[in-house]
Amino acid sequence: MPATSTISLSKAEKSYIQTGILSDPPFRADGRSLRAYRSVELETGVALLANGSARVSIGREGINSGGGTEVIAASKLEVEDLNEDGVEGGRIVCTVSCSPAAYPHLTSNALDELQEDISTILHQTLAHHSLHPNNLGILPGKKSWLLHLDLIVLSDAGNVFDAIFMSARAALWDTRVPRTRRITYRARKDHAEGQYHIDADENFSGFDTRRLAKATDFELSDYWDEGEVLDGRERWPVCVTLNVISQTHYLDATLQEEAATLLRLLLVYSFPPNSPPSLCGMRLVGGEDSALPDIKDFIKEGEQYAQELFISLDAKLREEDLRRKQKAYTKFARSR
Amino acid sequence: MAQLGIDRRRINGPEDSRPPVFTQDEKVQPTWNVGDPRQGRGPKDIRPIFLKPGLVTQANGSAYIETERTKIACAVYGPRQSKNVAYHEKGRLNVEVKFAPFSCEVRRAPLRDAEDRPLAMAIYQALVPSVRLELLPKSTVDVFITVIEADGLDACISSGVIAASTALADAGIEMIGLVTSCSASIVGGDIWLDLTREEARHSRGSLVLSCLPALRTVTSVWQTGQMISDEAYKCMDLCQSRCNDIHVVVAQALRENV
Repeated sequence: MPATSTISLSKAEKSYIQTGILSDPPFRADGRSLRAYRSVELETGVALLANGSARVSIGREGINSGGGTEVIAASKLEVEDLNEDGVEGGRIVCTVSCSPAAYPHLTSNALDELQEDISTILHQTLAHHSLHPNNLGILPGKKSWLLHLDLIVLSDAGNVFDAIFMSARAALWDTRVPRTRRITYRARKDHAEGQYHIDADENFSGFDTRRLAKATDFELSDYWDEGEVLDGRERWPVCVTLNVISQTHYLDATLQEEAATLLRLLLVYSFPPNSPPSLCGMRLVGGEDSALPDIKDFIKEGEQYAQELFISLDAKLREEDLRRKQKAYTKFARSR
Repeated sequence: MAQLGIDRRRINGPEDSRPPVFTQDEKVQPTWNVGDPRQGRGPKDIRPIFLKPGLVTQANGSAYIETERTKIACAVYGPRQSKNVAYHEKGRLNVEVKFAPFSCEVRRAPLRDAEDRPLAMAIYQALVPSVRLELLPKSTVDVFITVIEADGLDACISSGVIAASTALADAGIEMIGLVTSCSASIVGGDIWLDLTREEARHSRGSLVLSCLPALRTVTSVWQTGQMISDEAYKCMDLCQSRCNDIHVVVAQALRENV
Protein backbone atom coordinates (compact mmCIF):
# COMPACT_ATOMS: atom_id res chain seq x y z
CA MET A 1 0.00 0.00 0.00
CA PRO A 2 1.24 3.50 -0.68
CA ALA A 3 3.55 4.48 2.11
CA THR A 4 3.69 8.11 3.13
CA SER A 5 7.37 7.67 3.76
CA THR A 6 9.93 5.16 2.70
CA ILE A 7 12.19 5.33 5.74
CA SER A 8 11.40 4.72 9.39
CA LEU A 9 12.12 7.26 12.04
CA SER A 10 11.96 7.06 15.81
CA LYS A 11 9.13 8.77 17.66
CA ALA A 12 11.53 11.22 19.28
CA GLU A 13 12.95 12.32 15.94
CA LYS A 14 9.46 12.68 14.49
CA SER A 15 8.26 14.83 17.34
CA TYR A 16 11.44 16.92 17.14
CA ILE A 17 10.82 17.69 13.48
CA GLN A 18 7.11 18.35 14.04
CA THR A 19 7.74 20.70 16.96
CA GLY A 20 10.30 22.60 14.90
CA ILE A 21 7.84 23.15 12.09
CA LEU A 22 4.96 24.12 14.39
CA SER A 23 7.01 26.50 16.54
CA ASP A 24 7.02 30.24 15.96
CA PRO A 25 9.26 31.17 14.16
CA PRO A 26 9.34 27.80 12.42
CA PHE A 27 12.56 25.88 12.47
CA ARG A 28 13.80 23.29 9.99
CA ALA A 29 16.97 21.25 10.21
CA ASP A 30 18.53 22.86 7.14
CA GLY A 31 17.53 26.36 8.11
CA ARG A 32 15.03 26.90 5.32
CA SER A 33 11.74 28.72 5.79
CA LEU A 34 8.53 26.70 5.43
CA ARG A 35 7.87 27.85 1.87
CA ALA A 36 11.42 27.59 0.55
CA TYR A 37 12.63 25.02 -1.91
CA ARG A 38 16.11 23.58 -1.91
CA SER A 39 18.10 24.49 -4.99
CA VAL A 40 16.74 22.86 -8.14
CA GLU A 41 18.97 21.96 -11.06
CA LEU A 42 17.66 21.18 -14.50
CA GLU A 43 19.26 20.15 -17.73
CA THR A 44 17.56 19.10 -20.95
CA GLY A 45 18.87 16.89 -23.69
CA VAL A 46 20.73 14.46 -21.44
CA ALA A 47 19.80 11.27 -23.30
CA LEU A 48 21.04 11.43 -26.87
CA LEU A 49 18.98 8.56 -28.19
CA ALA A 50 15.68 9.83 -26.83
CA ASN A 51 13.34 12.25 -28.58
CA GLY A 52 13.40 14.47 -25.54
CA SER A 53 14.99 14.20 -22.14
CA ALA A 54 15.74 16.06 -18.95
CA ARG A 55 17.46 15.60 -15.63
CA VAL A 56 16.23 17.29 -12.48
CA SER A 57 17.88 17.29 -9.11
CA ILE A 58 16.56 18.93 -5.98
CA GLY A 59 18.92 19.79 -3.15
CA ARG A 60 22.26 18.68 -4.54
CA GLU A 61 25.02 20.01 -2.36
CA GLY A 62 27.44 21.23 -4.99
CA ILE A 63 28.13 20.87 -8.66
CA ASN A 64 30.19 17.72 -8.47
CA SER A 65 28.80 16.22 -5.30
CA GLY A 66 25.98 13.86 -4.51
CA GLY A 67 22.94 14.11 -2.30
CA GLY A 68 19.52 15.32 -3.20
CA THR A 69 16.68 13.87 -5.20
CA GLU A 70 17.60 13.05 -8.74
CA VAL A 71 15.27 12.10 -11.58
CA ILE A 72 15.94 11.50 -15.26
CA ALA A 73 13.06 11.63 -17.72
CA ALA A 74 13.15 10.68 -21.38
CA SER A 75 10.53 10.41 -24.07
CA LYS A 76 10.74 8.02 -26.94
CA LEU A 77 8.42 7.89 -29.92
CA GLU A 78 7.31 4.68 -31.53
CA VAL A 79 5.15 4.13 -34.58
CA GLU A 80 2.02 2.22 -33.80
CA ASP A 81 -0.47 0.52 -36.05
CA LEU A 82 -4.07 1.46 -35.41
CA ASN A 83 -5.14 -2.12 -36.17
CA GLU A 84 -3.20 -3.31 -33.17
CA ASP A 85 -2.94 -1.21 -30.01
CA GLY A 86 -2.86 2.25 -31.52
CA VAL A 87 -5.41 4.95 -30.90
CA GLU A 88 -6.40 7.55 -33.47
CA GLY A 89 -4.28 10.63 -32.80
CA GLY A 90 -1.60 8.82 -30.82
CA ARG A 91 -1.26 8.09 -27.16
CA ILE A 92 1.04 8.68 -24.22
CA VAL A 93 2.24 6.10 -21.73
CA CYS A 94 4.15 7.15 -18.62
CA THR A 95 6.23 4.81 -16.51
CA VAL A 96 8.33 5.55 -13.46
CA SER A 97 10.99 3.16 -12.29
CA CYS A 98 12.74 3.60 -8.98
CA SER A 99 16.31 2.51 -8.74
CA PRO A 100 16.92 0.08 -5.87
CA ALA A 101 19.93 2.26 -5.04
CA ALA A 102 17.56 5.08 -4.18
CA TYR A 103 15.55 2.90 -1.80
CA PRO A 104 18.02 0.47 -0.20
CA HIS A 105 15.72 -0.24 2.75
CA LEU A 106 12.76 -1.40 0.65
CA THR A 107 12.20 -4.99 -0.39
CA SER A 108 11.86 -5.60 -4.11
CA ASN A 109 8.12 -6.14 -3.68
CA ALA A 110 7.66 -2.85 -1.88
CA LEU A 111 9.76 -1.14 -4.52
CA ASP A 112 7.57 -2.53 -7.29
CA GLU A 113 4.48 -1.25 -5.52
CA LEU A 114 6.03 2.16 -4.95
CA GLN A 115 6.97 2.65 -8.58
CA GLU A 116 3.58 1.44 -9.72
CA ASP A 117 1.86 3.94 -7.46
CA ILE A 118 4.00 6.83 -8.67
CA SER A 119 3.51 5.74 -12.30
CA THR A 120 -0.25 5.68 -11.81
CA ILE A 121 -0.38 9.24 -10.56
CA LEU A 122 1.88 10.50 -13.35
CA HIS A 123 0.12 8.55 -16.07
CA GLN A 124 -3.40 9.47 -14.96
CA THR A 125 -2.44 13.13 -14.97
CA LEU A 126 -0.37 13.42 -18.14
CA ALA A 127 -2.22 10.96 -20.36
CA HIS A 128 -5.60 12.57 -19.73
CA HIS A 129 -7.36 13.46 -22.96
CA SER A 130 -7.64 17.12 -22.00
CA LEU A 131 -3.84 17.53 -22.20
CA HIS A 132 -3.32 15.44 -25.32
CA PRO A 133 -1.11 17.05 -27.99
CA ASN A 134 -2.50 17.32 -31.51
CA ASN A 135 0.51 16.27 -33.52
CA LEU A 136 0.89 12.63 -32.54
CA GLY A 137 -1.09 11.30 -35.48
CA ILE A 138 0.70 10.11 -38.63
CA LEU A 139 -1.80 8.61 -41.05
CA PRO A 140 -5.45 9.00 -40.14
CA GLY A 141 -6.97 5.55 -39.68
CA LYS A 142 -3.64 3.77 -40.10
CA LYS A 143 -0.69 4.85 -38.03
CA SER A 144 0.10 7.08 -35.07
CA TRP A 145 2.87 7.85 -32.61
CA LEU A 146 3.08 6.21 -29.24
CA LEU A 147 4.94 8.46 -26.83
CA HIS A 148 6.66 6.58 -24.05
CA LEU A 149 7.63 8.83 -21.19
CA ASP A 150 10.00 6.92 -18.94
CA LEU A 151 11.37 8.27 -15.70
CA ILE A 152 14.05 6.90 -13.45
CA VAL A 153 14.39 7.98 -9.84
CA LEU A 154 18.12 7.72 -9.22
CA SER A 155 18.08 8.92 -5.65
CA ASP A 156 15.40 10.11 -3.28
CA ALA A 157 16.09 12.77 -0.68
CA GLY A 158 12.46 13.74 -0.32
CA ASN A 159 9.91 15.53 -2.47
CA VAL A 160 10.09 13.00 -5.26
CA PHE A 161 6.72 13.94 -6.78
CA ASP A 162 7.70 17.54 -7.51
CA ALA A 163 10.92 16.34 -9.10
CA ILE A 164 9.08 13.78 -11.21
CA PHE A 165 6.54 16.23 -12.56
CA MET A 166 9.22 18.83 -13.19
CA SER A 167 11.39 16.43 -15.16
CA ALA A 168 8.37 15.09 -17.03
CA ARG A 169 7.43 18.60 -18.07
CA ALA A 170 10.99 19.36 -19.12
CA ALA A 171 11.32 16.15 -21.15
CA LEU A 172 8.00 16.72 -22.90
CA TRP A 173 8.97 20.32 -23.56
CA ASP A 174 12.18 19.05 -25.14
CA THR A 175 10.48 16.36 -27.24
CA ARG A 176 10.71 16.70 -31.00
CA VAL A 177 8.21 14.84 -33.13
CA PRO A 178 9.73 13.92 -36.52
CA ARG A 179 7.88 15.48 -39.42
CA THR A 180 6.29 12.92 -41.66
CA ARG A 181 5.15 12.99 -45.26
CA ARG A 182 2.39 10.80 -46.58
CA ILE A 183 3.10 8.49 -49.47
CA THR A 184 0.26 7.94 -51.87
CA TYR A 185 0.10 5.46 -54.66
CA ARG A 186 -1.47 6.99 -57.73
CA ALA A 187 -2.76 5.29 -60.84
CA ARG A 188 -0.61 5.98 -63.83
CA LYS A 189 -1.66 8.90 -65.92
CA ASP A 190 -1.66 7.08 -69.27
CA HIS A 191 -4.90 5.24 -68.42
CA ALA A 192 -7.95 6.67 -70.04
CA GLU A 193 -9.49 9.06 -67.53
CA GLY A 194 -13.03 8.05 -68.35
CA GLN A 195 -12.49 4.51 -67.23
CA TYR A 196 -12.45 5.56 -63.58
CA HIS A 197 -15.21 8.09 -63.80
CA ILE A 198 -17.82 7.50 -61.16
CA ASP A 199 -21.31 8.67 -61.64
CA ALA A 200 -22.16 11.19 -58.92
CA ASP A 201 -25.59 9.66 -58.37
CA GLU A 202 -24.26 6.19 -57.86
CA ASN A 203 -24.89 4.81 -54.40
CA PHE A 204 -21.86 4.53 -52.16
CA SER A 205 -20.58 1.02 -51.93
CA GLY A 206 -18.49 -0.36 -49.12
CA PHE A 207 -16.45 -2.29 -51.67
CA ASP A 208 -15.44 0.85 -53.50
CA THR A 209 -11.92 1.45 -52.27
CA ARG A 210 -11.38 4.42 -54.54
CA ARG A 211 -13.05 6.73 -52.05
CA LEU A 212 -10.91 5.68 -49.10
CA ALA A 213 -7.98 7.75 -47.96
CA LYS A 214 -5.18 7.09 -50.41
CA ALA A 215 -2.19 7.50 -48.16
CA THR A 216 -0.76 4.09 -47.38
CA ASP A 217 2.57 4.80 -45.82
CA PHE A 218 4.75 7.64 -44.66
CA GLU A 219 8.33 8.73 -44.79
CA LEU A 220 10.37 10.91 -42.48
CA SER A 221 11.22 14.25 -43.92
CA ASP A 222 13.65 15.12 -41.15
CA TYR A 223 17.00 13.73 -40.43
CA TRP A 224 18.00 12.56 -36.97
CA ASP A 225 16.79 14.73 -34.10
CA GLU A 226 15.14 17.52 -35.96
CA GLY A 227 11.39 17.83 -35.92
CA GLU A 228 8.63 19.96 -34.57
CA VAL A 229 7.98 20.48 -30.89
CA LEU A 230 5.09 18.70 -29.26
CA ASP A 231 1.87 20.65 -29.67
CA GLY A 232 0.74 22.52 -26.56
CA ARG A 233 4.01 22.10 -24.73
CA GLU A 234 3.25 25.15 -22.59
CA ARG A 235 0.37 23.25 -21.05
CA TRP A 236 2.26 20.43 -19.34
CA PRO A 237 1.67 20.78 -15.60
CA VAL A 238 3.86 21.10 -12.53
CA CYS A 239 3.26 19.56 -9.13
CA VAL A 240 3.62 21.04 -5.67
CA THR A 241 3.45 18.80 -2.64
CA LEU A 242 2.05 20.46 0.46
CA ASN A 243 3.13 18.64 3.59
CA VAL A 244 0.54 19.13 6.26
CA ILE A 245 1.13 19.05 10.00
CA SER A 246 -2.07 19.95 11.85
CA GLN A 247 -3.01 23.21 10.10
CA THR A 248 0.35 24.41 8.88
CA HIS A 249 1.91 23.25 5.68
CA TYR A 250 5.41 23.40 4.28
CA LEU A 251 7.04 22.71 0.95
CA ASP A 252 9.88 20.55 -0.32
CA ALA A 253 10.22 18.13 2.58
CA THR A 254 13.41 16.18 3.06
CA LEU A 255 13.22 12.43 3.61
CA GLN A 256 13.24 12.79 7.38
CA GLU A 257 10.59 15.49 7.31
CA GLU A 258 8.44 13.32 5.05
CA ALA A 259 8.60 10.52 7.59
CA ALA A 260 7.44 12.92 10.31
CA THR A 261 4.51 14.22 8.27
CA LEU A 262 1.27 12.29 8.25
CA LEU A 263 -0.56 14.01 5.46
CA ARG A 264 0.46 15.26 2.03
CA LEU A 265 -1.57 17.07 -0.58
CA LEU A 266 -0.33 16.77 -4.15
CA LEU A 267 -1.53 19.58 -6.38
CA VAL A 268 -0.82 19.41 -10.09
CA TYR A 269 -1.40 22.68 -11.86
CA SER A 270 -1.20 23.70 -15.49
CA PHE A 271 -0.97 27.33 -16.58
CA PRO A 272 -2.02 27.43 -20.23
CA PRO A 273 -1.37 30.78 -21.91
CA ASN A 274 -4.40 33.10 -22.08
CA SER A 275 -6.63 31.00 -19.85
CA PRO A 276 -7.09 30.60 -16.12
CA PRO A 277 -4.84 28.15 -14.26
CA SER A 278 -6.33 24.70 -14.24
CA LEU A 279 -6.04 21.95 -11.70
CA CYS A 280 -4.93 18.77 -13.49
CA GLY A 281 -4.65 16.48 -10.54
CA MET A 282 -5.11 16.45 -6.82
CA ARG A 283 -4.41 13.66 -4.37
CA LEU A 284 -4.58 13.51 -0.63
CA VAL A 285 -2.00 10.99 0.59
CA GLY A 286 -1.56 9.91 4.16
CA GLY A 287 -3.12 8.46 7.23
CA GLU A 288 -4.93 11.52 8.55
CA ASP A 289 -8.12 13.33 7.78
CA SER A 290 -8.45 17.04 7.23
CA ALA A 291 -11.31 19.53 7.26
CA LEU A 292 -12.70 20.75 3.96
CA PRO A 293 -12.14 24.49 4.61
CA ASP A 294 -8.48 23.73 5.37
CA ILE A 295 -8.10 21.83 2.11
CA LYS A 296 -9.59 24.76 0.22
CA ASP A 297 -7.05 27.08 1.82
CA PHE A 298 -4.26 24.70 0.87
CA ILE A 299 -5.46 24.65 -2.73
CA LYS A 300 -5.58 28.43 -2.81
CA GLU A 301 -2.04 28.77 -1.54
CA GLY A 302 -0.82 25.81 -3.54
CA GLU A 303 -1.93 27.51 -6.73
CA GLN A 304 0.39 30.41 -5.97
CA TYR A 305 3.36 28.17 -5.22
CA ALA A 306 2.68 26.25 -8.40
CA GLN A 307 2.55 29.47 -10.38
CA GLU A 308 5.91 30.61 -9.02
CA LEU A 309 7.43 27.21 -9.73
CA PHE A 310 5.92 27.21 -13.20
CA ILE A 311 7.29 30.64 -14.09
CA SER A 312 10.82 29.84 -12.99
CA LEU A 313 10.73 26.43 -14.69
CA ASP A 314 9.47 28.04 -17.87
CA ALA A 315 12.28 30.59 -17.84
CA LYS A 316 14.83 27.85 -17.25
CA LEU A 317 13.46 25.73 -20.10
CA ARG A 318 13.65 28.63 -22.53
CA GLU A 319 17.20 29.30 -21.39
CA GLU A 320 18.07 25.64 -21.97
CA ASP A 321 16.61 25.78 -25.49
CA LEU A 322 18.80 28.76 -26.19
CA ARG A 323 21.89 27.18 -24.67
CA ARG A 324 21.52 24.03 -26.74
CA LYS A 325 20.88 25.94 -29.92
CA GLN A 326 24.02 27.95 -29.23
CA LYS A 327 25.97 24.80 -28.47
CA ALA A 328 24.84 23.14 -31.69
CA TYR A 329 25.74 26.25 -33.62
CA THR A 330 29.29 26.52 -32.28
CA LYS A 331 29.86 22.81 -32.78
CA PHE A 332 28.71 23.07 -36.36
CA ALA A 333 30.85 26.13 -37.02
CA ARG A 334 33.92 24.51 -35.53
CA SER A 335 33.64 21.36 -37.60
CA ARG A 336 33.66 23.28 -40.87
CA MET B 1 -1.18 -24.34 -28.64
CA ALA B 2 -0.52 -24.26 -24.98
CA GLN B 3 1.21 -21.09 -23.90
CA LEU B 4 3.38 -20.49 -20.92
CA GLY B 5 2.05 -18.36 -18.12
CA ILE B 6 -1.58 -19.28 -18.62
CA ASP B 7 -3.31 -21.28 -15.96
CA ARG B 8 -4.36 -24.47 -17.74
CA ARG B 9 -6.68 -25.47 -14.97
CA ARG B 10 -9.05 -22.75 -15.97
CA ILE B 11 -11.24 -22.92 -18.99
CA ASN B 12 -9.53 -20.34 -21.09
CA GLY B 13 -11.50 -18.16 -23.37
CA PRO B 14 -10.24 -17.11 -26.77
CA GLU B 15 -6.96 -15.19 -27.00
CA ASP B 16 -8.63 -11.86 -27.55
CA SER B 17 -12.17 -10.76 -27.32
CA ARG B 18 -14.23 -7.92 -28.57
CA PRO B 19 -17.41 -6.53 -27.12
CA PRO B 20 -20.47 -7.65 -29.07
CA VAL B 21 -22.25 -4.99 -31.07
CA PHE B 22 -25.97 -5.38 -30.84
CA THR B 23 -28.14 -4.21 -33.71
CA GLN B 24 -30.33 -2.55 -31.14
CA ASP B 25 -27.42 -0.37 -29.96
CA GLU B 26 -26.31 0.40 -33.47
CA LYS B 27 -29.64 1.93 -34.31
CA VAL B 28 -29.65 4.29 -31.35
CA GLN B 29 -28.28 7.57 -32.59
CA PRO B 30 -26.59 9.76 -29.99
CA THR B 31 -29.10 12.53 -29.55
CA TRP B 32 -27.29 14.06 -26.61
CA ASN B 33 -24.68 16.75 -27.20
CA VAL B 34 -22.32 18.47 -24.79
CA GLY B 35 -24.21 21.38 -23.26
CA ASP B 36 -27.60 19.68 -23.28
CA PRO B 37 -29.31 18.95 -19.97
CA ARG B 38 -28.61 15.57 -18.43
CA GLN B 39 -30.85 12.71 -19.45
CA GLY B 40 -32.52 10.41 -16.97
CA ARG B 41 -31.79 12.37 -13.79
CA GLY B 42 -30.93 15.82 -12.52
CA PRO B 43 -27.32 17.02 -12.63
CA LYS B 44 -26.96 16.90 -8.85
CA ASP B 45 -28.69 13.53 -8.42
CA ILE B 46 -26.81 10.36 -7.64
CA ARG B 47 -27.94 6.87 -8.50
CA PRO B 48 -30.09 5.11 -5.88
CA ILE B 49 -28.07 2.92 -3.53
CA PHE B 50 -28.88 -0.60 -2.44
CA LEU B 51 -26.62 -1.62 0.41
CA LYS B 52 -26.69 -4.89 2.36
CA PRO B 53 -24.12 -5.85 4.98
CA GLY B 54 -23.33 -9.40 6.03
CA LEU B 55 -23.89 -11.37 2.85
CA VAL B 56 -20.59 -13.28 2.89
CA THR B 57 -21.04 -15.61 5.85
CA GLN B 58 -17.46 -16.84 6.31
CA ALA B 59 -16.00 -13.33 6.39
CA ASN B 60 -15.71 -11.28 9.56
CA GLY B 61 -17.67 -8.57 7.86
CA SER B 62 -19.01 -7.95 4.40
CA ALA B 63 -21.19 -5.70 2.32
CA TYR B 64 -22.80 -5.66 -1.09
CA ILE B 65 -23.58 -2.42 -2.88
CA GLU B 66 -25.56 -1.82 -6.01
CA THR B 67 -26.04 1.55 -7.64
CA GLU B 68 -27.87 0.85 -10.86
CA ARG B 69 -25.25 -0.88 -13.02
CA THR B 70 -22.38 -0.73 -10.55
CA LYS B 71 -22.32 -3.88 -8.44
CA ILE B 72 -19.61 -4.45 -5.88
CA ALA B 73 -19.14 -7.07 -3.18
CA CYS B 74 -16.71 -6.53 -0.34
CA ALA B 75 -15.47 -8.91 2.35
CA VAL B 76 -13.32 -8.03 5.36
CA TYR B 77 -11.13 -10.62 7.10
CA GLY B 78 -9.34 -9.77 10.25
CA PRO B 79 -7.76 -8.42 12.31
CA ARG B 80 -5.44 -11.37 11.97
CA GLN B 81 -1.76 -11.92 12.56
CA SER B 82 0.59 -10.39 10.02
CA LYS B 83 2.82 -13.11 8.65
CA ASN B 84 6.26 -12.66 7.11
CA VAL B 85 6.22 -8.99 7.98
CA ALA B 86 8.55 -7.23 10.39
CA TYR B 87 7.07 -5.99 13.65
CA HIS B 88 4.97 -2.92 13.27
CA GLU B 89 3.30 -1.16 16.13
CA LYS B 90 0.45 -0.08 13.88
CA GLY B 91 -1.81 -2.52 12.11
CA ARG B 92 -1.81 -2.90 8.38
CA LEU B 93 -4.80 -2.33 6.13
CA ASN B 94 -4.61 -4.36 2.97
CA VAL B 95 -7.03 -3.52 0.17
CA GLU B 96 -7.33 -5.69 -2.91
CA VAL B 97 -9.65 -4.98 -5.80
CA LYS B 98 -10.52 -7.64 -8.34
CA PHE B 99 -12.64 -7.32 -11.42
CA ALA B 100 -14.84 -10.15 -12.58
CA PRO B 101 -13.95 -11.08 -16.18
CA PHE B 102 -17.40 -10.02 -17.32
CA SER B 103 -17.53 -6.77 -15.36
CA CYS B 104 -16.46 -4.43 -18.12
CA GLU B 105 -17.32 -4.04 -21.77
CA VAL B 106 -14.00 -5.61 -22.76
CA ARG B 107 -13.24 -8.90 -21.04
CA ARG B 108 -10.72 -8.67 -18.22
CA ALA B 109 -8.71 -11.85 -18.29
CA PRO B 110 -8.49 -13.57 -14.91
CA LEU B 111 -5.06 -13.40 -13.22
CA ARG B 112 -3.59 -11.08 -15.80
CA ASP B 113 -5.55 -7.86 -15.66
CA ALA B 114 -8.24 -8.67 -13.14
CA GLU B 115 -6.45 -6.84 -10.37
CA ASP B 116 -6.60 -3.10 -10.31
CA ARG B 117 -4.00 -1.50 -8.10
CA PRO B 118 -4.79 2.18 -8.81
CA LEU B 119 -8.36 1.55 -7.72
CA ALA B 120 -7.16 -0.28 -4.61
CA MET B 121 -4.86 2.63 -3.83
CA ALA B 122 -7.73 5.12 -4.06
CA ILE B 123 -9.94 3.03 -1.80
CA TYR B 124 -7.09 2.43 0.65
CA GLN B 125 -6.43 6.16 0.93
CA ALA B 126 -10.10 6.86 1.61
CA LEU B 127 -10.33 4.22 4.34
CA VAL B 128 -7.02 4.38 6.17
CA PRO B 129 -7.56 7.63 8.14
CA SER B 130 -10.81 6.22 9.54
CA VAL B 131 -9.54 2.88 10.84
CA ARG B 132 -7.92 2.87 14.28
CA LEU B 133 -4.89 0.85 13.24
CA GLU B 134 -2.94 1.96 16.31
CA LEU B 135 -5.12 -0.42 18.35
CA LEU B 136 -4.10 -3.42 16.23
CA PRO B 137 -0.35 -3.90 16.49
CA LYS B 138 1.19 -6.81 14.57
CA SER B 139 -2.06 -7.46 12.72
CA THR B 140 -3.51 -7.10 9.28
CA VAL B 141 -7.01 -6.26 8.18
CA ASP B 142 -7.71 -7.59 4.70
CA VAL B 143 -10.34 -5.91 2.57
CA PHE B 144 -11.21 -7.85 -0.58
CA ILE B 145 -13.35 -6.05 -3.10
CA THR B 146 -14.87 -7.76 -6.13
CA VAL B 147 -16.32 -5.63 -8.87
CA ILE B 148 -19.11 -7.68 -10.38
CA GLU B 149 -20.26 -5.00 -12.77
CA ALA B 150 -18.60 -1.66 -13.42
CA ASP B 151 -20.21 1.46 -14.78
CA GLY B 152 -17.68 4.26 -14.63
CA LEU B 153 -14.34 4.27 -12.84
CA ASP B 154 -15.23 7.07 -10.43
CA ALA B 155 -18.41 5.27 -9.46
CA CYS B 156 -16.32 2.16 -8.77
CA ILE B 157 -14.13 4.11 -6.36
CA SER B 158 -16.99 5.78 -4.53
CA SER B 159 -19.16 2.66 -4.29
CA GLY B 160 -16.13 0.58 -3.35
CA VAL B 161 -15.32 2.96 -0.50
CA ILE B 162 -18.89 2.88 0.82
CA ALA B 163 -19.04 -0.93 0.64
CA ALA B 164 -15.63 -1.34 2.28
CA SER B 165 -16.43 1.04 5.11
CA THR B 166 -19.76 -0.72 5.73
CA ALA B 167 -18.00 -4.09 5.73
CA LEU B 168 -15.38 -2.82 8.19
CA ALA B 169 -18.17 -1.64 10.48
CA ASP B 170 -19.91 -5.00 10.05
CA ALA B 171 -16.67 -6.75 11.04
CA GLY B 172 -16.60 -4.74 14.24
CA ILE B 173 -13.26 -3.10 13.53
CA GLU B 174 -12.83 0.11 15.44
CA MET B 175 -13.15 3.21 13.34
CA ILE B 176 -13.43 6.90 14.09
CA GLY B 177 -16.37 7.15 11.70
CA LEU B 178 -18.04 5.75 8.61
CA VAL B 179 -16.46 6.79 5.33
CA THR B 180 -18.75 7.74 2.48
CA SER B 181 -17.75 8.86 -0.94
CA CYS B 182 -19.16 10.65 -3.95
CA SER B 183 -17.87 11.70 -7.36
CA ALA B 184 -18.45 14.86 -9.37
CA SER B 185 -17.44 15.83 -12.89
CA ILE B 186 -17.44 18.81 -15.17
CA VAL B 187 -19.55 18.15 -18.26
CA GLY B 188 -19.80 21.10 -20.59
CA GLY B 189 -19.89 23.99 -18.15
CA ASP B 190 -21.94 22.14 -15.60
CA ILE B 191 -21.21 19.99 -12.58
CA TRP B 192 -22.78 16.54 -12.59
CA LEU B 193 -22.62 14.06 -9.77
CA ASP B 194 -22.01 10.31 -9.99
CA LEU B 195 -21.32 9.84 -13.69
CA THR B 196 -21.95 6.64 -15.60
CA ARG B 197 -19.30 5.30 -17.96
CA GLU B 198 -21.13 6.70 -20.95
CA GLU B 199 -21.39 10.17 -19.43
CA ALA B 200 -17.76 10.12 -18.27
CA ARG B 201 -16.62 10.17 -21.90
CA HIS B 202 -17.77 13.77 -22.19
CA SER B 203 -16.32 14.99 -18.93
CA ARG B 204 -13.43 17.42 -18.82
CA GLY B 205 -12.36 16.70 -15.28
CA SER B 206 -13.59 14.65 -12.37
CA LEU B 207 -13.17 14.48 -8.63
CA VAL B 208 -13.90 11.82 -6.05
CA LEU B 209 -14.27 13.01 -2.48
CA SER B 210 -14.35 10.65 0.48
CA CYS B 211 -15.21 11.98 3.88
CA LEU B 212 -16.23 11.22 7.41
CA PRO B 213 -19.62 12.97 7.64
CA ALA B 214 -19.82 12.42 11.41
CA LEU B 215 -16.62 14.42 11.98
CA ARG B 216 -16.98 16.74 8.99
CA THR B 217 -13.51 15.84 7.76
CA VAL B 218 -12.15 14.67 4.43
CA THR B 219 -10.09 11.50 4.08
CA SER B 220 -9.34 11.55 0.37
CA VAL B 221 -9.56 13.78 -2.67
CA TRP B 222 -8.88 12.17 -6.02
CA GLN B 223 -8.98 14.53 -8.95
CA THR B 224 -8.07 13.94 -12.59
CA GLY B 225 -8.58 15.91 -15.78
CA GLN B 226 -8.87 19.66 -15.82
CA MET B 227 -10.87 22.03 -13.71
CA ILE B 228 -10.26 25.51 -12.40
CA SER B 229 -9.96 25.97 -8.63
CA ASP B 230 -13.46 27.40 -8.23
CA GLU B 231 -14.96 24.41 -9.99
CA ALA B 232 -12.98 22.13 -7.69
CA TYR B 233 -14.33 23.94 -4.62
CA LYS B 234 -17.89 23.63 -5.90
CA CYS B 235 -17.42 19.93 -6.71
CA MET B 236 -16.05 19.31 -3.23
CA ASP B 237 -18.93 21.12 -1.56
CA LEU B 238 -21.52 19.24 -3.60
CA CYS B 239 -19.82 15.92 -2.92
CA GLN B 240 -19.65 16.60 0.78
CA SER B 241 -23.35 17.38 1.07
CA ARG B 242 -24.16 14.20 -0.91
CA CYS B 243 -21.84 12.22 1.35
CA ASN B 244 -23.92 13.35 4.32
CA ASP B 245 -26.99 11.86 2.60
CA ILE B 246 -25.15 8.63 1.85
CA HIS B 247 -24.10 8.42 5.51
CA VAL B 248 -27.79 8.11 6.45
CA VAL B 249 -28.18 5.24 3.96
CA VAL B 250 -25.14 3.40 5.35
CA ALA B 251 -26.20 3.91 8.97
CA GLN B 252 -29.71 2.67 8.14
CA ALA B 253 -28.36 -0.43 6.39
CA LEU B 254 -26.14 -1.27 9.35
CA ARG B 255 -28.97 -0.74 11.83
CA GLU B 256 -31.29 -3.05 9.90
CA ASN B 257 -28.63 -5.76 9.93
CA VAL B 258 -28.15 -5.79 13.70
